[in-house]
Amino acid sequence: MNILKQELRMGRKSLIIWCLSLVGVLCFFMLLYPSISNQLEDFQKVFKSFPIEFQQAFGIADLELSSILSFYQFTLMYVLLAGAIQAMNMGVAIISSEVREKTADFLFVKPVSRNRVVSMKILAVLVQILITNAFVFTAALIIVTLLSTDAYDVELFALFTLSLLFIQIFFASLGLFVSVFLRRIRTVLPISMGVVFIFYIIHLLNETLKDEKLGLISPFDYFNLSEISKKMNYDSLNFLLWFVLVGMFIFLTFKLFARKDLPSI
Amino acid sequence: MNVIEINQLTKFYGKHRGIENVTFSVEEGEIFGFIGPNGAGKSTTIRALLSLIHPTSGSATIFGKDCIKYGSEIRRDIGYLPSEVFYYEHMKVREVLNYSASFYDNVNYSRIQSLAEIMDLDLNKRIDDLSYGNKKKVGIIQGLLHEPKLIILDEPTGGLDPLMQQKFFDLIREENEKGATILFSSHILSEVQKLCGRVAIIKDGTIVRVENIRDMQKHNYKKFTLEYKGVIDVHHFNLEGVTNLTLDKNTLHFLFKGDINRIVERLQGQSLLNMLVEEPSLEEIFMHYYQKED
Repeated sequence: MNILKQELRMGRKSLIIWCLSLVGVLCFFMLLYPSISNQLEDFQKVFKSFPIEFQQAFGIADLELSSILSFYQFTLMYVLLAGAIQAMNMGVAIISSEVREKTADFLFVKPVSRNRVVSMKILAVLVQILITNAFVFTAALIIVTLLSTDAYDVELFALFTLSLLFIQIFFASLGLFVSVFLRRIRTVLPISMGVVFIFYIIHLLNETLKDEKLGLISPFDYFNLSEISKKMNYDSLNFLLWFVLVGMFIFLTFKLFARKDLPSI
Repeated sequence: MNVIEINQLTKFYGKHRGIENVTFSVEEGEIFGFIGPNGAGKSTTIRALLSLIHPTSGSATIFGKDCIKYGSEIRRDIGYLPSEVFYYEHMKVREVLNYSASFYDNVNYSRIQSLAEIMDLDLNKRIDDLSYGNKKKVGIIQGLLHEPKLIILDEPTGGLDPLMQQKFFDLIREENEKGATILFSSHILSEVQKLCGRVAIIKDGTIVRVENIRDMQKHNYKKFTLEYKGVIDVHHFNLEGVTNLTLDKNTLHFLFKGDINRIVERLQGQSLLNMLVEEPSLEEIFMHYYQKED
């Protein structure tokens, strides 16, 4: 438990900053809602006048800005994007930082097995993701409730918002795998930004192409918000795929790290 | 009983050699020196013992148990001081030491305080405010605070001033007297000479020899310094047992191992200004191990 405590302590500051930023993004977009809500039809018209490919690429093809939840859906996409970067950052950094900060010679000569260190670190990432989600969920619930003029579908709101949790878990586990797979990581942010944006671009591309196979690549497609609002549930095949991939990444993280040589300074 | 037993230990990083067929053992209660130039494989051997790296072939046991298989169990009784120390920058010294202590059962926390007093270290400073030498002190304390049965030191004295080195050596001797076994790696021979009973010499990844320091110093080598009046014929001393032959103006230096009378024979008829016969330091004895073969 001492490792978990230590990790949470060290991640505290960055967790607070990320939580505030995510909620900041959310607030910024959502607070536009009241001021443009009476002009929404005009906006809609402008959007609809764009070529359909353009609309699809920006994820506004199926957008009905008339209700608060569809506006929230539009906003949430940016929160998901930022949240994915946060999670991947944590995943990539949490093990690799011991090598990068040269503290591996401290931690890994202690009487703990590598598997235990990895478990504790994964647990620390999970706890931080849960805290982030609790914070974002609460803030979003308050904002949406305050801004909505009439009743909205709470279940759909929950389905939307919980996709942040699943996307974060995906990117965190991918980050863990990447961090033990690569020999040495000098900087974390370019890796996590790069990977997240590649997946995001694939997602945007697929909004236009609507290709089923391509949809299996990007986790943003597993939790496609417009699909969720149509089905009122997550896609079961995509959810299964998510589960298998996360499991595989975690398994490989343990497996690869147990055999990894820790380079001397 | 052997505390450390290393058997044919080999580590390759891809095609690059780390160590090859390293074999030696360290007995319980001794201070064992491990010397060799930089890059010879000292740290590689030590990192394999601590299961920070996995050997390509061969094996090593500590307390009779395989290093890799029982790594976490073995490490309960090991204290390690790396050659360069790095800790979590934003933490205070006390926090790092408490974190370190939290990995062990039954740690006497007052020991942190008393060790810090001996080493003259302020526990309330932040790690990133510490000088190199002070970080080293943190390393020494975290290596000793759980009273390990085996202490592994990898070039431990860098950054410590002579006074602190002395205190550090005293601490190590004290732990040794209480029963701890010590593996002391260094490329500074004089400190090994001060502390160790036996040494293993490693060069280019292989063990050159394992010897008892006192034997080697007392019975084998003599250091000669001859000052001549006139021109010196270097070839005059080109005989078996002479090493490290150097000529400096009209002064000749060399080490000799063997029957002293053979040197005396050669000296007859020579006109000398001065002559010194001394016990060589380990540095001088090992110099020829250090020089790379061409």
